[in-house]
Amino acid sequence: MVLEAEIVFIVDLLAIFAIYLIVNLSLNMEFGYAGIPNFGKVLAVGAGAFVAASIPGRIFANIAGIEGDYIENNLAIVSEINVWLVDNTGIGFIVFFLTLGIAAAVGGGLGLLTAYPAIRLRGDYLAISLLAFGESIRIIGNNFTPLVGGTLGVQVPDPLSFLPGELRFPIATIGLILIAIVVYVFSEKMIRSPLGRMLRAVRDNEVAAESLGKNTTQIRIKIIIVSAALAAIAGALYAFYVGGTIAFAYDRASWTFWPFLMILIGGLANNKGVLIGTLLFVTLRKFIIFFKDSFQEYVPFDVVWLDFLLLGIILLAVLLYRPQGIFIEKPTPTITLNGNSEPSGLKKMFNFFFK
Amino acid sequence: MALDPIFSDAIIFASLLALLSIGLTLTYLTTRVPNFAHASFATIGVYIALVATRVWESSPYIAIPIAFVISGIVAVALYTFILKPLIRKGASQAIQMVSTLAFDLIVIAMLNIFADYIVNTYRVTSREFTLRSYDVEFMGLPVIVFAAPITIAILAITLHVVLRKTKFGIAMRAATENSDLSGIVGINVKLIFGISWLLGGGIAGIAGALMSLWFQGDPNLGPQLIPSVFAASIVGGFFSIYGAIAGGILVGLTEVLGTRFLAGELGSWLIAYRPLIPLVFIVVTLLLAPRGLAGINWSRLRRHGSRS
Repeated sequence: MVLEAEIVFIVDLLAIFAIYLIVNLSLNMEFGYAGIPNFGKVLAVGAGAFVAASIPGRIFANIAGIEGDYIENNLAIVSEINVWLVDNTGIGFIVFFLTLGIAAAVGGGLGLLTAYPAIRLRGDYLAISLLAFGESIRIIGNNFTPLVGGTLGVQVPDPLSFLPGELRFPIATIGLILIAIVVYVFSEKMIRSPLGRMLRAVRDNEVAAESLGKNTTQIRIKIIIVSAALAAIAGALYAFYVGGTIAFAYDRASWTFWPFLMILIGGLANNKGVLIGTLLFVTLRKFIIFFKDSFQEYVPFDVVWLDFLLLGIILLAVLLYRPQGIFIEKPTPTITLNGNSEPSGLKKMFNFFFK
Repeated sequence: MALDPIFSDAIIFASLLALLSIGLTLTYLTTRVPNFAHASFATIGVYIALVATRVWESSPYIAIPIAFVISGIVAVALYTFILKPLIRKGASQAIQMVSTLAFDLIVIAMLNIFADYIVNTYRVTSREFTLRSYDVEFMGLPVIVFAAPITIAILAITLHVVLRKTKFGIAMRAATENSDLSGIVGINVKLIFGISWLLGGGIAGIAGALMSLWFQGDPNLGPQLIPSVFAASIVGGFFSIYGAIAGGILVGLTEVLGTRFLAGELGSWLIAYRPLIPLVFIVVTLLLAPRGLAGINWSRLRRHGSRS
């Protein structure tokens, strides 16, 4: 069975969509709800990808008893691991989830680091220092070979290698979408909780929130750590999905500027907007890349640049003519603890039988 | 006169950063938004120098006034058509920064398209090119080694005279300090801000035309250069032209000579980490002395020092 080109196209689109959705939801928490302009989003995403590139492979090699320098003989070792993983699916999944956990922890740790300027600086100075933090990850990844193989990159072992070739990507995509849904629900619940309400209060008027006894410093630190951990998970998932990591892929444009563009098009401080913005952007880019070759004959330059031109103009048009994005931020309904609202059917039944 | 090329490298790079950071400061003073597209204004200058030498086959120094005008006009377009409406609508500073990023994207795309066009039309290398061979020699050194610092000196003196002595300069300082109040006394604030952007972008264009004679030119130069430019401006304090010059020279010399020194001491693997230096400058300055060199009270520091 060989998959049709259309199906491959849709599968890849949905996978990239799921990964960007996680990154954008985490950025929306920071920028939309907490007002922290994180121009260094790439730091956490890159950290997650670097964790996925450097840790699980070494664990597998140890368990399976594969000898050799992990970076230098990377290609041979990883293909050996993938063969070994076919018979050891259980261990593969345990290490996969362990890696996601480590990525979240490393991301959270880096979040703590970025919180240091974020609670001391405001506005443009904060944005520039976060940008500086974000830039550093690529420079280190590019030059410190033991981490992700420097400019050559490394392969990432594939826990799904037991699946036949044509099913691997569709199944991986379903998994990614499930994880993205979990993150979406988590983010939505968090925004509706008292914590989410406090976040918006701190964003809109920090002094007023402080005067009511809210600890604004603590909440900023908390949200940065949560958001960085989520972004790191997205980075690790991306590395697993594409099966490799190379440092220069984690640049300012792909993982900081595009997420900003997506959430601004969709509408700030609005998870539904993030969903639509991400879908629109990912589909548009995918189509541009897909139809690139058929355009090439008509223009005397590389079509890639039309993509940049178009996206830049779209973003400027949105900022100038519809600054609130597609969806406007609405008052968020809060989760009721008990009582006041109309109880659901299940709850009515529960009440009927037990109360 | 023999000079280690590393010193020419350091002098030219420091001058370039100082020029870019003067321009960035001029624009920052007016709108209070760090312009991410600023370094790409210099790339425009680089391409004008390429056209002047390879297509028109004349001296690269002809490119300087043309680069000033074209980069200046692009900067004014960014201010008039994007930042001014955004400010009027009350967009936050972060949104304004994102809009300069988007503008940068458009400029980079245009430059790339232009580079492809030059290759296809004139069969001239337009990526990773160097124009070093077009420079003339003076005392055994390329003229650019002298021209770059001299340009800064001329600009610094001119700006000093304009800002302190002329009516226009005083109006400009008033408008940047309190735009509402200066509007009331009859200063055309919008015109003044537009001229600031023209000057800021134009100076970046000059920097680009000059740097093309020493460094490799490429359409994607802007994003590579922008951390160093921000570092120079932040070290300088972001509010002072003199601070910008000092910051540019400090960051530029540290980047080139500091890397060389450390690589000599610790090993050549360190050279690759050179891009980290401006980032360290940014973080350390913002956390320790957020108002930069210009914000430190030097006279008090001196008095303090002599007392102890």
